[in-house]
Amino acid sequence: MIKIATHILLVDDERDFVEMLSLRLQEAGEKVTPAYDGRMALDLLKKENIEVVILDIKMPGMDGIQVLKEIKTRHPLVEVILLTGHGTAETAVEGMRLGAFDYLMKPADFDELTAKLQGARQKKEAQEERIRKAEARLLLRKGGNI
Amino acid sequence: MEMQADKQIRLLLVDDEEDFRQTLVKRLNKRGITASQAASGEAGLALLAERPMDVVVLDVKMPGISGLEVLRRIKQMALPTEVILLTGHAATQDGVEGIKAGAFDYLSKPIEFEHLLGKIRQAHDRIVTIREKQLEAECRMRLGQQMIATERLAALGTLAAGVAHEINNPLAIINEAAGYMRLLLNKQAAGLPHREGFQKALDKIESSVKRARTITHQLLGSVRKNESVLAEVDLAELAGETLQLLAGQARDKNLKLELETTTHPKGFWIEPNQVRQVLINLVSNAIHATPAGGRVWIRLAGTDGGGVTMEVGDTGTGIPKENLEKIFEPFFSTKTPGQGTGLGLYVSRQIVEKLGGTIEVRSCLGQGSQFILQLPNQVEPT
Repeated sequence: MIKIATHILLVDDERDFVEMLSLRLQEAGEKVTPAYDGRMALDLLKKENIEVVILDIKMPGMDGIQVLKEIKTRHPLVEVILLTGHGTAETAVEGMRLGAFDYLMKPADFDELTAKLQGARQKKEAQEERIRKAEARLLLRKGGNI
Repeated sequence: MEMQADKQIRLLLVDDEEDFRQTLVKRLNKRGITASQAASGEAGLALLAERPMDVVVLDVKMPGISGLEVLRRIKQMALPTEVILLTGHAATQDGVEGIKAGAFDYLSKPIEFEHLLGKIRQAHDRIVTIREKQLEAECRMRLGQQMIATERLAALGTLAAGVAHEINNPLAIINEAAGYMRLLLNKQAAGLPHREGFQKALDKIESSVKRARTITHQLLGSVRKNESVLAEVDLAELAGETLQLLAGQARDKNLKLELETTTHPKGFWIEPNQVRQVLINLVSNAIHATPAGGRVWIRLAGTDGGGVTMEVGDTGTGIPKENLEKIFEPFFSTKTPGQGTGLGLYVSRQIVEKLGGTIEVRSCLGQGSQFILQLPNQVEPT
């Protein structure tokens, strides 16, 4: 089976963590773009075709929840997986209410992370597929009217 | 009223003159005071060893051990007993010596009955006051220890959560670094030197990370558990429970605890343990600050926005203006070191703010203080 790389944006203020997880994910066949704060993440989302964001909740400046809200407003189809190092499961749950796909406690189990990445990507693809079909129906209907 | 108090006096009369004793006992009896008797110093001490007495009326001049010696032994035993000496007509020297040795007072024979009765009452009043003070001190100490324990726990919880969080981040880095190495290692052909050694070391790193993670997650979990039990709460019941918890301490200080509820919302959702913790802190502070005979109350009322106002008030000493700003700061305390951590109000405010509420204080020196909590309903009424 040929693995199709998921384009992941990894956002965390801990640079060492971003570096190591990026290397690991890349080695596992994913495409990873690093970001070290919320601002940078939102800029990158504009430029690159990101599919899934892995987002740390606790960051200086814009925190993960604020970034999540921005992402969901500007790029509603991009899926977000929250990472929390703190005992803030409540915050994580709030994040899911705001549209995050799921959350993981740091340090995350890699298999779990991989499973959630896959789930997020499938959800995004399924949604995009429905949009494509809807667009196609729209086109057909328009064509019929000519 | 006086009769009532007199009845409670436990009185011992020690005198070798039988007639004198009998007459005195009879007259005391008429006034409602029951006195025990002893005919010698030895008999008196034996009786005291068996039955605690409030007041001992003690003849100085007796065969066997003298009254002054009996007094000395009573003081040595540190009995909670006041002694009134009866000295011979011309023996004021004995009386003075007796007072130096710790007697409450002395009377010269022949005694005037009303005079003696007055002294007995005074001595009894003093013993009661001393006993109350002791109880109060004990209760303060116990309460102080409890407070310190809860405050330390709360501080420890915050600390533990902070440490766990700080450790999780580097743990995550170690975890990803090890995982990356494993992926690299798996890609290498079998020919890599020391391949098995690397494999084994990585196993150890990964299993150790898992172990440490279990610990930090448990630590965070234990803190979280206490924090997030949201429930539908009857606040009047909760406030009543809190007062019940502290009723013993209030009784010791002869304070009235009152719960006043006017309106309060039904279907109020909040974290009961947290609110209870805040109320316990505030009510015990109020009990501390209020002198005997005062009042401490919780007043409960609903607000227009579906929230609730809880006032914890007292008729205590009040808080000086210059301290009002500081009382919510961590480690600010007017108690002697070791009595309080200075975290009670700090922790309380943190809790209240986390619940989305506010806490305010009003105080008037010499008249008392009121702490006013405003708490929102945690669940929007539907």
